[in-house]
Amino acid sequence: MRLEFTVNDKKRVLEVSADKRLIDILREDLGLMGTKEGCGEGECGACTILLDGKAIHSCLLVAAQMSGRNVTTIEGLEKNGKLDPLQSAFVEEVAIQCGYCTPGMILSAKALLLENPAPTETEIRRALAGNICRCSGYTQIIRAVERAAREGGAAI
Amino acid sequence: MKSLKIVGVSHPIHDAKAKVRGNANYAGDMQLAGMQYAAMLLSPKPHALIKSIDASEALALEGVETVLHCFNTTERTFSRFRTVSRQPGIMNQERVFNRELRQVGDRVACVVADTPEIARQAVRLIKVEYEDLPFTTDVYEVLDGALADMHPEGAFFEFEREMGDKSLVAQDCVETVTHSSLDRMSHTAMEPHACVAYYNKSMDEMTIWSPNQTVFGIRTVVADLFEMQYHKVRVIKSTMGGSFGCKQDWILEPIAACATLATGKPVKLVYSREEVMLNTSCRAPFIADVKSKFTRDGVLQSLDADVIADAGAYLGNTMAYLGYQSALMPRTYKYPYARYRGRGVCTNGTTSGGLRGWSSGELCLFVDHNFNMAARKLGIDPLELRLKNVYKPWEKEMADNISLEEIRTKECIELGREKFAYDEKKRADADFNSKNERYQRGVGVSCGGHFNGYFPHALDFSGVEMRFTESGSVIVNVAVHDHGCGTVQAIKMIVAETLGLPVDMIWCAEGDSTYNPFDTGCYASRSIYVIGRAVKDCCHKLQEQLLQDMASALGLPEEDLEIVDAQVRSKNDPSICFNYTEAVHKILFTLVKEVWVKHEYANTTNCGVTGTHFAHVEVDTWTGMTKILDYMAVHDIGRAINPEICRAQVQGAALMGSGVALMESLHTNPKNGKSVSSLKNYHVINAWEAPQVQVLFVEDGLTGGPYESKSIGEVALVPVAAAIVGAVNEALQSDFCECPLNPDKIVAMMQERRTKA
Ligand code: FES
Ligand code: FES
Repeated sequence: MRLEFTVNDKKRVLEVSADKRLIDILREDLGLMGTKEGCGEGECGACTILLDGKAIHSCLLVAAQMSGRNVTTIEGLEKNGKLDPLQSAFVEEVAIQCGYCTPGMILSAKALLLENPAPTETEIRRALAGNICRCSGYTQIIRAVERAAREGGAAI
Repeated sequence: MKSLKIVGVSHPIHDAKAKVRGNANYAGDMQLAGMQYAAMLLSPKPHALIKSIDASEALALEGVETVLHCFNTTERTFSRFRTVSRQPGIMNQERVFNRELRQVGDRVACVVADTPEIARQAVRLIKVEYEDLPFTTDVYEVLDGALADMHPEGAFFEFEREMGDKSLVAQDCVETVTHSSLDRMSHTAMEPHACVAYYNKSMDEMTIWSPNQTVFGIRTVVADLFEMQYHKVRVIKSTMGGSFGCKQDWILEPIAACATLATGKPVKLVYSREEVMLNTSCRAPFIADVKSKFTRDGVLQSLDADVIADAGAYLGNTMAYLGYQSALMPRTYKYPYARYRGRGVCTNGTTSGGLRGWSSGELCLFVDHNFNMAARKLGIDPLELRLKNVYKPWEKEMADNISLEEIRTKECIELGREKFAYDEKKRADADFNSKNERYQRGVGVSCGGHFNGYFPHALDFSGVEMRFTESGSVIVNVAVHDHGCGTVQAIKMIVAETLGLPVDMIWCAEGDSTYNPFDTGCYASRSIYVIGRAVKDCCHKLQEQLLQDMASALGLPEEDLEIVDAQVRSKNDPSICFNYTEAVHKILFTLVKEVWVKHEYANTTNCGVTGTHFAHVEVDTWTGMTKILDYMAVHDIGRAINPEICRAQVQGAALMGSGVALMESLHTNPKNGKSVSSLKNYHVINAWEAPQVQVLFVEDGLTGGPYESKSIGEVALVPVAAAIVGAVNEALQSDFCECPLNPDKIVAMMQERRTKA
């Protein structure tokens, strides 16, 4: 099928099969390797992207669902050479170890902040419940989201 | 020691900025010109012989390059666990593609094609004729003679080991016998295994990129398997999305190597989560019987452990794992006599491999559960019982007769007792429990010890090269393999601190078997204690070299020069002062040489390193759900090089161990030999469920590690499951240790109890 959609503010027109997963389109057709696959079945959150501003598993979406939609991947968060406040906060708060969960984690947090600019710890925990981090105990990640909320992470 | 500026201050991991941008390059992200993609066909059978394979339809599919299987690839065998050339005690039991399939998930065939989609589609077109063979997943059946012909070496192996002096065991003792079991567990590193390999036919050279724990180990195994010289195989460690032990077995590397040898094109192989769960490795299921003898006032006299580990289809590291476990027997508590019997049993289950802690978490669970039951018998508080039996500094342990140096378990217990409010919590629980029927609370405490490196069990050796660039920065060439927990950053911090430079003036890449000095791998928590020590010593050598070269370049006696704040200067003449850049140029143009050193370090210490963990839980006796109310980990760490990363690792370990204790089970169905193969059925703790984990460090230093540090990455996991299980048993006044203690088991136990009552 012919797929027209927006990825990181850029219009994209691709020829792909209708059942191709969004994660594969991003990685294989667009070379956006920041979106990670950890399970392929909606259980780990590593593949989280923003679809029209909402966090969603890109491993569960296929091309047929994507026409006209607006996708933001981790590569799309940095604006004018400046990291998103969430990205800087993850670095500063030492919220990254192996980093495999990081892009998905940041995008789930972004979706939260877009909806709720000043979330409580409980709200952050709930918003990140679909993103598994095996390296940490989530402490630094939660702290990073709190910090980003204070430092303007709610803007896109 | 002079006050430290960098070591002890928290820094983000070295590639944090790449990781938040999504451009860290994991093996699965790599792209090479002309790259092809491999997809696997795994065995649906627990035990079968392949009678025939018809790949014609797969090969006919457009875009398919080749189909590899047991009839067209090498018959040579390898060991997934081998890390060193001529390593003793290794059994080569696996082919790249086995003809006799010994587990569900064994490797049947691999398609190499132009795209991953075509490769996967072609896999479905391969026709295999199997001849079913009898199978079992029951270790006792194997011990009774089943699967005797599965491997030429037999299906089970055992050893017995005595340590200490039996005659020192007191006569009048209280004996406590406990039984424990642990189900199979998946490491669940978030990055599934991946590998890229390229064989350049014209040059007869192979390059392999993978997330792994020793580039030299893979080089050795792959070169031997395909009969190549070691200099023809270059292995490069890629960014690793977590290991926890799952990336220390060689599985994808031999497949990708086999594929690129066949095609002469770069091949990428990325496993799905299901393939990771079925075909890589898991932590073995364990059964353990422990017998302790304590004097009536609680002094441990002897421990006897009889341990069975289910190795799964291939022996892999299982016997080494058990050998290690025996050596761990006296790493936490001091007592005169121990006996250990280990049996490693091959079954038709998923092959086992090492988990973070390499058998010490398992041992801790078995032994500390026994301690808790003994404490009950003796009428002594479990914490008091531990206090009575921990080491004093500089005592020797009896397995290897090495000094535990500045071991600080006692301080950890005492600090945790106070900060966790152990006694207050126990009193409050007693009150809570007496007023509640449905919910019951308990506190658990556990102490677990580990090692810092291989010494004295295996070659514990590291080589480092270090050079100054002309801009005064430093290049460190050492085979480190960052599992994702900050090894590279810690190494850079050590170098920066020692040489008086900012951290970003230091470059340290990861494992590359062609360019790095030889090294024996990033296992056994040796990365900082041993490799970091080698690096720190190398910094001193580099400074000495710099002084020596400057002395000859300036025509001054070496004793007249010193290095202060990253400057070479004369002790007598303040006008003679060169920063590193100037010094390096002076030497380059005067002596025509670079400032460069090589250092080799063989470790000969292994200080005691322990953690004491405290868990407070609430069990819902109706649903069987256990909630962790509060958790504290106190670690005897010597010194935390990068403290927040250390805390984050300990917190991650607390969640992983809680999973082991309460929910994680890669259960194998005995009827068809199939293990859980999806995260849908394998739950790991998420942010919503995660308890707050408080972490305290006792930083007394005085160790042989760099900046007086000890290990942390593995020991952090050791006491967790034992602390949680102890708390559950305390809450329920029960005595069971069949992990995971999931709701089903707890409900069944409560029902049985009610029926009896
Ligand atoms: S890869 Fe999509 S949720 Fe795990
Ligand atoms: S940092 Fe490794 S999974 Fe989160």
